[in-house]
Amino acid sequence: MFDQLFSPPGSATRPAPPVAPLALLLAFLGLASILSGWTGIGPSPYFLNLIGQVAAFGMLAISLDLIWGYAGVLSLGHGLYFAIGGYLIAMHMVKVSYLLTSTPPDFMLFMGWDELPGYYAGLEWFPYTLLLIITISALVAFIFGFISFRSRVSGVYFAIISQALVYVAMLLFFRNDTGFGGNNGMTGFTEILGQPLGERATIAGLTGASLLAAAMALAVASRVVRSRYGHMLMAIRDDEPRLRFLGYETLWLKLGVWTLSAVIAAIAGMLYVPQVGIVNPRVLSPELSIEIAVWVAIGGRGTLVGAFLGAVLITTAKFILTAIAPDLWPFILSLLVLVVVVALPNGLFGSGETLRTRISQLATRRAARQAEGART
Amino acid sequence: MHRFHRAPLVFLAVCLALCTAGAATAETPLRRATLEQLCEKSVGPRVEAVDRLLTATAAGEEDASWTFAILDAARSKGLHCGKDAVPLLKLEDGWRDAASLAPAEPPEQKMKPPFVNLKVRASLDMGAALSALLAAPGSAAAESGLGEIEKRPDRANSAVIAAATALSENAPFVDRLGSIQASLDLASEVPEDRIAAIDRIAENPSERNRTALLNLQAELGGKADPVTRDALDNAIAEIDGWIALGAVASTVYSGLSYASILFMASLGLAVIFGLMGVINLAQGEFIMIGAYATYAVQEALRAIAPGLLDWYLLIAIPIAFLITAGVGCAVEASVIRHLYRRPLMTLLATWAISLFLINSVQAIFGTQNLEFATPAFLGGGERLIADFIVTWNRLFAILFAALVFVAALLVLNRTQLGMYIRAVTENRDMAGCIGVSPRRVDLISFGIGSGLAGLAGLALSPIYNVNPTMGTNFIVDAFMIVVLGGVGNLYGTLIAALGVGMINVVIEPLYGAVAAKVIVLLLIIAVIQLRPEGLFAVKGRR
Amino acid sequence: MTLMKRRKFLKTSAAASVAALAAPALIARAQSGDTINLGCLFSSSGTMANIEGRMNAVVNMAAEELNAKGGVLGKTVEVMVTDPASDWPLYAQLGRQLLQQEKVAALFGCWTSVSRKSVLPVVEQNNGLLYYPLHFEGEENSKNVVYLNSPPSSSVLPALDYLMSEDGGEAKRFYMLGSDYVWPRTINKICKGYWTSKGFEESAWREEYVPFGFSNFQTLVNDIRQFASEPGGQPIIVLTVVGSSIPAFFKEIINQGIAATDIPILGLDVLEADLEGLDTAPMVGHLNCWAYLQNAEAPENDTFKEAWKSYVGGNSLPYSPETVIDPMVSAYDGVMLWAAAAEKAGTVEVDPMREAFPGLTFDGCPSGYDIAMTGENNYVSRGVFIGSVNDEQAFDILWQSDDQPTPVPFSPYA
Repeated sequence: MFDQLFSPPGSATRPAPPVAPLALLLAFLGLASILSGWTGIGPSPYFLNLIGQVAAFGMLAISLDLIWGYAGVLSLGHGLYFAIGGYLIAMHMVKVSYLLTSTPPDFMLFMGWDELPGYYAGLEWFPYTLLLIITISALVAFIFGFISFRSRVSGVYFAIISQALVYVAMLLFFRNDTGFGGNNGMTGFTEILGQPLGERATIAGLTGASLLAAAMALAVASRVVRSRYGHMLMAIRDDEPRLRFLGYETLWLKLGVWTLSAVIAAIAGMLYVPQVGIVNPRVLSPELSIEIAVWVAIGGRGTLVGAFLGAVLITTAKFILTAIAPDLWPFILSLLVLVVVVALPNGLFGSGETLRTRISQLATRRAARQAEGART
Repeated sequence: MHRFHRAPLVFLAVCLALCTAGAATAETPLRRATLEQLCEKSVGPRVEAVDRLLTATAAGEEDASWTFAILDAARSKGLHCGKDAVPLLKLEDGWRDAASLAPAEPPEQKMKPPFVNLKVRASLDMGAALSALLAAPGSAAAESGLGEIEKRPDRANSAVIAAATALSENAPFVDRLGSIQASLDLASEVPEDRIAAIDRIAENPSERNRTALLNLQAELGGKADPVTRDALDNAIAEIDGWIALGAVASTVYSGLSYASILFMASLGLAVIFGLMGVINLAQGEFIMIGAYATYAVQEALRAIAPGLLDWYLLIAIPIAFLITAGVGCAVEASVIRHLYRRPLMTLLATWAISLFLINSVQAIFGTQNLEFATPAFLGGGERLIADFIVTWNRLFAILFAALVFVAALLVLNRTQLGMYIRAVTENRDMAGCIGVSPRRVDLISFGIGSGLAGLAGLALSPIYNVNPTMGTNFIVDAFMIVVLGGVGNLYGTLIAALGVGMINVVIEPLYGAVAAKVIVLLLIIAVIQLRPEGLFAVKGRR
Repeated sequence: MTLMKRRKFLKTSAAASVAALAAPALIARAQSGDTINLGCLFSSSGTMANIEGRMNAVVNMAAEELNAKGGVLGKTVEVMVTDPASDWPLYAQLGRQLLQQEKVAALFGCWTSVSRKSVLPVVEQNNGLLYYPLHFEGEENSKNVVYLNSPPSSSVLPALDYLMSEDGGEAKRFYMLGSDYVWPRTINKICKGYWTSKGFEESAWREEYVPFGFSNFQTLVNDIRQFASEPGGQPIIVLTVVGSSIPAFFKEIINQGIAATDIPILGLDVLEADLEGLDTAPMVGHLNCWAYLQNAEAPENDTFKEAWKSYVGGNSLPYSPETVIDPMVSAYDGVMLWAAAAEKAGTVEVDPMREAFPGLTFDGCPSGYDIAMTGENNYVSRGVFIGSVNDEQAFDILWQSDDQPTPVPFSPYA
C-alpha cells in the first residue's frame, strides 16, 4: 500500500507540463524587476519583496517536485537544505556587517564571545559563501542519500527519517552554543554585495535574482526530467525493483537527482533569507517541510509548473490572509487542502484530464460499492 | 519512607473540632504578646513569637490546641489584624476572638491578614506542624505535620519533639520522631549522643542527611575523636550506597514514565499507521481531543455530582475513548475513506484536518491551558529509596499505559473483530473475498486507533499542559516510535517506546535535554538504516 | 505549441497573475482621511498564543477608550490585528507589511525577545515605532522602539536583592533554569555578574537551558532537588522558562513535593495567566517581579480590571475576564503614551513624535504609579512589584518600590 504513495497519481499518458512558457515568463519578470530597480519606476518595494520571497518558495517547491514527483522519493525534510543556504548567506551578511560596523551580532554578546567562531573564516567573501552553499548542501544530501538509498530505505520510512533529520538539525540550531544565534537566529543584516538591504534597488535586484533563479531551476529541472536520465527516474518511481533486475544501479540514479534537488533548495534559501531579513531554526521545523509537500501536492505533483504555482498560491494567500483575516486563514487553508485532496487528486494545476479521471474513478468506486453492498 | 502531603492547609478541619471543644478560655499575657507580635509587619518579631510560643507549649505553659489554631490560622490568612483592634480569627464557620477562640462578632473596622513572606511562612509551617503533634497526637493531622518537619528536621524545636515523643498517643510515630531528634542531636556536644545520632541518621539515607553529616565532618575537622570519625565515615559510606541505588531507581522510574507517555502517544498511531497505512498527522489532535473530553467530564461532574469529582479520570475513560473514536470515525467516513487508494493524500488530508481541529478547538475553548483538578490519590508521592520519589500521577500514567496495552492486545488477538482487523491488514483483497467488509473494518480500526489516542490524552492530562496545540508536541515522537518498532506490531511499539524512554533519561542528566533528543533521533535514523522496516517488522499489506 | 498546451499555459499563467495581482489589491486598503491605524503584532496561534492572544484585545480596548474620548488629533483610532503564529520571521514580514503597506502610525507587539529582534531591523529601516510591552533583558536602545516595561536593573535585581536579604530567606545558591534564547541567557549573565559583584563564587550557581516548548521536567527537577540538598546555604531557582514550559515545570515541582519554603522559585516570566491551569495551593510563596500585579491597590487598577471584564464579556472573547497581566497593562499604557505623544506633537509622524517623548507622562496606569519617559532613552520609568503566589491563582504583593526607578538599559553586570 505504501508503494502507491510514491507512484504517480495519474496515468502514464499525462500531457507533458508546459514548463518553457512559465520559465520564460519568470525570466522576463526577473529582468523587468531588475530594470524597475534601476529606473525606480514600478511596484512598491514591499510588493517587490513579496514577489521575491514567493519566487524563492516556488523554487523550493520545484526542488521537492523534482525528487518526489519524478523519482518518487518523498522528503519531509527539505527545509534542511533550504536552511543550509539561508544560514550560510546569513553568516556571510553577519560577517560583512560585523567587519563594516564592528557591532558584534547579538549572539556574541549574550554568549560572551569576543570573536566569531572559526568557521566564519572567509565567509565575508561572497563567491566562497556561494561555493560553500553548493558544496555543503550537496555533501549533506549526498551522505544522507547514500546511506539511506544504499540500505534501501524507501517510501514512508525515508520520509520519516528525513523528517527526523531536519528535526535533529532544528534542535541543534536552537542551541545557542552552536554559534548560529540559537533561537534568535541571525538578523540585523545591513548589506549584500555592497548594496544596502533597505534600498528599493537592492530589493528589486534580489527579487529579480529570485525570479531568474526560479526560471533557471525550472529550465534545469525540466531538461533533467525530459532526458533519458529523467525517464530512468520515472522508471524508479514506478517500479524500482524491476529497474534493478534489469541491471541498473538505482542508488546512483537517485543520488544524482537527490543531490541536485538539495542544491536547488539551498539556493532558494540563499535568496530567501536576505529578503526576509532573518533566519532562525524555524526554517528547520518539520511543519515547514510538510508545508512544502502541501504546496507541491496542491499545485500538482510531477509537473514542475504545478509545484511552483502551488507554492505561489499558498504563500501569497498566507501573506495576505495572516494580515487581514488571521482567524480565518487556517480554516481556509485546511478546507482548500481537503477539497483538493478529495476532488482534485492531481492538484490544481495538474493534468488536464484530472476531472475526467476523477469522475471515472468515482463511477468505478460506486460500482464497487454496489457490488460490495450486494454481497453483504 | 514517609508520605508527604501537598496542601498543608488540611489541618483546618482538625482545628475546627479542637476550637469548638473550648480548648482555651482565658486571655493570658503570653497570648496577648504573641498575637501582638504576629500582627506586626516585620519578620523578626513574628518568627520570635512563634519560637517562644512553641517552647512555652512544650513546657505545658500554653494549651497546644490554641497554639495550633493560631499558627495554622496565621499561615492560611485566617488571622486578621487591625489597627487598635483585637485580633480575630476568620474560620469557615465565622469569626472568633483570637485570644479566647470564643465566637465573635464580625469586625466593624477594616481588618486584614498580615502578609506572610517566605521566612515567616517557613516558621509558621514548622510551628503548626510541631504543635499538631501536641494538639492532636496520633492523628492524621499530626502525621501530616510530621512529614512537614521531616523536610527540615534541623529546624525543629527540640523541646516540642521531646514533648511529642513523651505523649503515648504518638507511639506510632516514635520511630520517626527519633529520627528528627537525631538530626537535632547532631549538634550535641556529648560525643555519645552525637554518635547515636549519626548512626540513627544513617538509617534514613537522603542527600540532605548526607549533607548534614558532611557539614558535621567539616565542622569537627581534626578535632573529632576516632570513634566519631569512624561512625561518620561509615554512615556517609552507607548513605552513599543508598543514594546510588535511589538514583538508579529514580532513573529507571523516569525512563518508565517517559516511555509510558511515548507509548500512549504512539499506540493509536500504531493501529492507524502501522496496521492501516494511513499517515495520520492529526494523531496529536486526537490526543488533544481526548484531553478536552476528560476536561468536559471533570466540569460535568463538578456541576452534577461534585462528590465523584475525585474519580473523574476513571469515569472519563470510556467517554474520552468514545468521543475521540467518534471524531476519528467521522474523519474516516468523510475524508480518509476516499483516500485508501491514494495514501499520499492521507498525509495531506490529515495535515489539513489537524490544522482544522486545532483552530476549531481554539475558537471554541480559547487558547488557555485547561485546569485539571488533581485527584487526592494522584497528588504528591512516596519517598522509597533515598531521594527516589514515586510520584502518583506518573505511576498512574505507567499503570494506565500497561492496562491499555493489554486491552489493545486482547482486542486484536482474542476477539473476532481483532481477527478481522488482522485479516484485512494481512491481505485486504483476500479478506474481502471471504466476506469481511474491509470498509467497515477500516472504519472500526480507525475508530479504535483514534480512541486509543483519546485515552493518551486522558493519561497525559494530569502531567502535561492541555491546550489546543498540545498535540503537535507528540506527532514526531509518535511516528519515530512506530517506525522504530516496526509497523503493524504493538510489541515493537512497546519495546521502541521503552528503549527510547530509557535512553533518553540516561543521557539527559549528562548532556541535557536537547542533546538527549538529538542522540535518540540519530540512533533511530541509524537503526532504520540497518533495519529499514523497523526493529520488529511484520509482513503486512503494502 | 499545441492547442492543449497553449490553453494550459493560459490557464496557469492567468491563475498566477490573479494570485499575484490580488495581493496588493487586497492588502492596500485605502487609508481614509479621518482614521489613524495602529498595528498589532501578537500571535493568536502557536506556542505563544495562550498569553499573546489577549494582547490584541487589550490594544483594541485602549483604542476604543481613546475613540470614546474623541479619538486622537480628532481622528478615530483603528487597530489592525495580525497573527504572526509564533513564527519569528513572520513577525518581521507582517511588521513590514503593516508599516509599508498599511502605513500604520505605530506598532504594538512582540512578547519574546526573539520576535522583537526579528522586527527590529524592519522598524529601523522603515523608521517606524514599535511599542514593546514586555520586561526583557535590556542591552538595547533603538530609537524606533519604545520599551514600555522594565530592564533587569529595575525588576530582576531588586527581586534578587530581596531573596538575598534576611527577610527573603538569605539565598546563597542559585539554580538558573531557562528556555534557550536571548532573554534567559542575558538575564542569567547579568545575574551571574551581579552575584560575582556580591562576592559569590562560581560554585554557588548552576545554569540549565531547555528548548522552547519543553515540558518533561522530571529529570531536571530531580537535579534541582539534588542541587538543593548540597551544602552551602539556602538555594533558590531563578526561572526563565517561557510559554507552555512554565505550568509544566510547576506541575512537576508540585508533584515532587517541593514547596516555596524549601526552594523558592523566582519566576521571571510567570504571570497570573500562567497560573490559570494550576492548583496554586501547593505553590504558595513562589515569587515573581513585574511592573504591575493584578492585586495592585489603586483606583486605576479597579477601573482597568472592570473595563477588561466588560470588554471580554461584551465581545465574548475566549480569554479569562478575571485575569489581568502586566504586559496587558503595559500595552494599554503604551497606547495611552502613544496618544499623548501624538497630541503633544500634533502629528503621528515618527520624528516629531520622538521629539515629544521627553517629559511625557501617563497618570492613569493601573499599577498606581505615574509612568514617564525621560528622553534620555526610549524606556519608560515605572514602579516595581515583587509578588508572591497565593492560593487564588494570583500574586500577593510582597514588596513594592517607593517610587519609579530610572531605567538603565545597559547593565553594568552584563
